[in-house]
Amino acid sequence: MKINVNGEEREVDVPEDVPVLWVLRDELGLKGTKFSCGKALCGACTVHVDGKARRSCVLPAGAVAGKRIDTIEGLADGDRLHVVQRAWIEHNVAQCGYCQSGQIMSAVALLEATPDPTDDQIDSAMSANLCRCGTYPRIRAAIKRAAALMAAEGDK
Amino acid sequence: MRKHYDAIHHVRGESLYVDDVAPPSDMLHLAVVGSPVAKGTLDGVDVTAALALEGVVSVLTASDIPGENQIGAIIPDEELLAASEVAYIGHPVAIVIAETPELALRAATLVEVSVTAQTPVVCPREAYAKGDLISPARTFEAGDVDDAFASCAHVVEGKCDIAGQEHLYLETQRARATPGEGGRIQLYSSTQSPYAVQKAAARVLGRPAHMVEVDVLRLGGGFGGKEDQATCWACFATLAAHHTGRSAQIVLNRVDDLQMTGKRHPYKADFKMGLSAEGDILAYEATLYQNAGAKADLSTAVLERSLFHATNAYRIPNVRVHAASCRTNLQPHTAFRGFGGPQGMFVVESALSEAADATGIPRHELQRKNLLVDGDTFHYGQLVERARGESTWDDAAAAFELDGLFEAAEAHNAKGGLTRKGVAVMPICFGISFTKTFLNQAGALLHVYGDGSVSLSTGGVEMGQGVNSKLRDIAAQALGITNTRINLEATNTTRVANMSPSAASATTDLNGNATLAAIRTLLGRLHALAAERLGLDSTDGIEIVDEVVHAHGEPTEWTWERLVLEAYLSRVDLSAHGFYATPDLNFDTDTETGRPFAYHVWGSSIHEVTVDCLRGTYTIDSVKITHDLGRPINRVVDLGQIEGGLAQGLGWVTLEELAYGDDGRLLSSALSTYKAPDGDFMPPVHVRFTEDPEPTGPYGSKAVGEPPLMYGIGVWFAIRDAIKAFDADAPVAYDSPMTLSLIHI
Repeated sequence: MKINVNGEEREVDVPEDVPVLWVLRDELGLKGTKFSCGKALCGACTVHVDGKARRSCVLPAGAVAGKRIDTIEGLADGDRLHVVQRAWIEHNVAQCGYCQSGQIMSAVALLEATPDPTDDQIDSAMSANLCRCGTYPRIRAAIKRAAALMAAEGDK
Repeated sequence: MRKHYDAIHHVRGESLYVDDVAPPSDMLHLAVVGSPVAKGTLDGVDVTAALALEGVVSVLTASDIPGENQIGAIIPDEELLAASEVAYIGHPVAIVIAETPELALRAATLVEVSVTAQTPVVCPREAYAKGDLISPARTFEAGDVDDAFASCAHVVEGKCDIAGQEHLYLETQRARATPGEGGRIQLYSSTQSPYAVQKAAARVLGRPAHMVEVDVLRLGGGFGGKEDQATCWACFATLAAHHTGRSAQIVLNRVDDLQMTGKRHPYKADFKMGLSAEGDILAYEATLYQNAGAKADLSTAVLERSLFHATNAYRIPNVRVHAASCRTNLQPHTAFRGFGGPQGMFVVESALSEAADATGIPRHELQRKNLLVDGDTFHYGQLVERARGESTWDDAAAAFELDGLFEAAEAHNAKGGLTRKGVAVMPICFGISFTKTFLNQAGALLHVYGDGSVSLSTGGVEMGQGVNSKLRDIAAQALGITNTRINLEATNTTRVANMSPSAASATTDLNGNATLAAIRTLLGRLHALAAERLGLDSTDGIEIVDEVVHAHGEPTEWTWERLVLEAYLSRVDLSAHGFYATPDLNFDTDTETGRPFAYHVWGSSIHEVTVDCLRGTYTIDSVKITHDLGRPINRVVDLGQIEGGLAQGLGWVTLEELAYGDDGRLLSSALSTYKAPDGDFMPPVHVRFTEDPEPTGPYGSKAVGEPPLMYGIGVWFAIRDAIKAFDADAPVAYDSPMTLSLIHI
């Protein structure tokens, strides 16, 4: 089947019920998206499907045929980091890092839909992304910083 | 601002964990077959159906282990694969080796395990009554407790029931083994203890340690759950590589990880506290029943720290604490950030809470009045030095206006309605050092390459605590060069031998001091060379500042790069090994006294909550902390440890409920049934630091990893106070976690 990953058309030969997570990791070698709970309960595997945050560990490959998937690897434009990635570094969000691809993808989706989110909107959009290191205060601060940067720069 | 060493890799999704490293094309995959019952004799394991599945390469059982079937590190009571008896649900009895992970998992369901079941024990009090202990119970005693109780104006007694806690590292347990020539095994393991994995893998192979190399780049979280319990998975991969001659990888799925791995120990406890009429604590007695699970694992060491921290930050002249590791038929419980300290502290805080009710003196006044000061003695004989209990308390109370918070809560509560506010203070005092003295050692290997770049290897494992960031900053400061020249290598047993686990909050202290020792050796050589080239008689007055050699405070024309190249061309050794052993530590287990800790970390936290007493819901309004960091090496990293440790502590006493059936089955074995803190739960956190340099810490810094977790205990008591403000007669047992169903009145 054909899927579009980070703007590139890719041909993969997998059964339709294989989760997108494993298509990305095992078929396409994109290891930035992580496996953790396997049941769409922790958010570590979050990617975008047609711009919306989705849990790739329970999303069958058949459901994304012909759709656009974006992963953490496609976020930066070469050396130019996405504004959310820059805010993440500025606020030293990551500790162990394992959940962070998912956190960042959820944050990007939030900001694309809601460029200037309130605390409640941040909590509601991010509450399904677990971080056992407890980086939540910094995630919230980084999202606000990214929103400010986006507003100032007029782009991402 | 100094950034997290791995920040750029993390935000780009480029950080590599065990199963992200490109695998060999013929790599095999493992799945584990666990016992279906919690206790019984193993009558047989039928692998016929599993082996018949195409793509299944082998199924290994205890008889396939070439060396010793034993991984117990402290007490040799844990077989790698159960041979004749099973002791908990999920107890590994066989491993399936297959061409794909899916096949391995499917085949694992086809392995038939026959067990004659027996009645399991799940309660530590029951195990204690039967005398089924992991090792003999221990008692720490100071003063004369019985006499003291007789003279107390107030004596209170009570019980605690403290639940365990799932580590929930987002990266589940995993390892990859690759066979080399002559039977050598190379392991990638997600472990906090590379040396423990090396020793255990060698042991089950029946080979010397040098036949196994363990490499750890980073962990996707550990929190203690990968200190001892990363070992068996690495051994399974080792066995598979040994038997098949191919690389083999195991990645636990979440359900298996939850069902098969141990957790923070649940404790039950009895306490009794005696006070003078003025509120001085005169006597304290407690019995701690630790639910150790089925095997020793680290339980005895965890128990020891419960004994050490049984009096938290308080001066109590007469103490008797009796503690036992009770064997049950749950997963072998293990290290978890705090390592027994949190349970010991929860019990003494419960006793203080009862004492406040009995004396009519507010709990925070009792707490403040009884804080340890310099010159006091801990109940295990160590002198209290550089105490920061009172100073952090007073700083927090003043800066965060504690009196005002109490007044605001009272005013709110006086209005009636359905909500009540509670305010509680939680002081902490946590000893730093492994309580097993021999573990307080570390090595570092420093290479300077001819181009001036630096490679540093230590025994420190990066698991998010930022040890690489801190070691890089320590090395840069000591060498006098920019930190971007320094690369922290993966933790590897061939570069640093006999490394202690990255645990006990001591990783930066130990490995930072070892790094400084290596740098002293290297700089000795470089300074001598510089003195010679500068025509000076001695190295006095030579130092490297901002990459330039200075002589008596004046810059010279010798840069770092020039000096290093000159050293190489002059055949000066540009590699150095450093070693550190924490000085002045001792402990006598016959008298249960000594000086087990290099120093203590202190701090005080203030917790405000609002409880809806009709619905049982609550909001943690804020947590405000004054924390004793010594002189921090990397303030941003340390603040992250405080926020993260606090999050776990708050979760432990409120949300996180491990549910077990009477048959020993973990019922909360998925994230749909186990609730951990999320962003919505996390309260605003305000942190102040006191900055008094610690003489034994690298550059005056103090350990930070574990102590902040214990601040979380304060929120339990804030919620209790809110409930009591609604109904003073409401029964509130000292049971943790305080879930919504318990709060609901």
